[in-house]
Amino acid sequence: MMGAEIAALMGFFGLTGAFALVGTVLAAWMAWRIVEKAGLPGWTGLGAILLTLTGIGSIVPLVLLWVFAFMRWPRDEAPAGAATPGFAPAGRPAGGPNPSGPAALAAPAMALADRRGWQLTGALASGGVVALAIDGTSGTYVLTGAPSAQASDLSVPDPSVGQPHARLLTAGTRLGLEDLGSPGGTFIDGARLLPEHGPRDISGARAIRLGSVDLALSRT
Amino acid sequence: MTWILGLGSLVAFAFLIAHLLLALVLIIPTWRICTRAGFSGALSLFHLVPLIGSFIVMAMLAFSTWPNGEASPGRRS
Repeated sequence: MMGAEIAALMGFFGLTGAFALVGTVLAAWMAWRIVEKAGLPGWTGLGAILLTLTGIGSIVPLVLLWVFAFMRWPRDEAPAGAATPGFAPAGRPAGGPNPSGPAALAAPAMALADRRGWQLTGALASGGVVALAIDGTSGTYVLTGAPSAQASDLSVPDPSVGQPHARLLTAGTRLGLEDLGSPGGTFIDGARLLPEHGPRDISGARAIRLGSVDLALSRT
Repeated sequence: MTWILGLGSLVAFAFLIAHLLLALVLIIPTWRICTRAGFSGALSLFHLVPLIGSFIVMAMLAFSTWPNGEASPGRRS
């Protein structure tokens, strides 16, 4: 009788042990994905969870959770090539509050001799192709889903593109992009650009997404 | 006999307080993470659910698209 009880107890602990193992593996996997979305290496999240299996216990992972919550995420930093002075929107201080994006930047110190323009190309859901040229003669372009009404309007005829959707700004050899609060969203190399981010330097970017339209950015 | 019931209630109350304190320690940073990801901070209140609450929050953050954007694969170091 006692043997049966012991066996049942051992079985119970075996079951809970299996649940604990599955839970730990699942948590480690999810932590990997979460920190990757923030721009950190996935193994840091995995390691934080696996630390609970060591003698350190759960205090260190708890501390790491707080650090992760309040640290600066690589996701929020400017794309490569954008860490230079750039576009500061009118009426918005360059060093002002910026909840999750990089600080707005000041005017460029000098213009280089590169006079090449920019080109945005992509395919529409309707089957059409869009090719937009930015030659830099106008300082500001408006990306809109409506037909072009002015020379500075760049039309992307797709229902997911706002009217207007975003603003392109040229300054010297650099190109900036500012979201105008469109519901479809604006993305730079996969990272969401919010209106409160202000103009972002996209000179080093390769892909822009307006709503559901993917555009490739290149020099002409 | 009554004192046993009282002791049991006291132990249960102590467990409840400990659970709430532990949940609070988890809710504060998770609230900020959820907000930065673009979700409602109230999502972190799932930590109040015993045992599976933390898994629910982590699953939401891990397997859904963050409204405020995610690091592009090329930028993940």
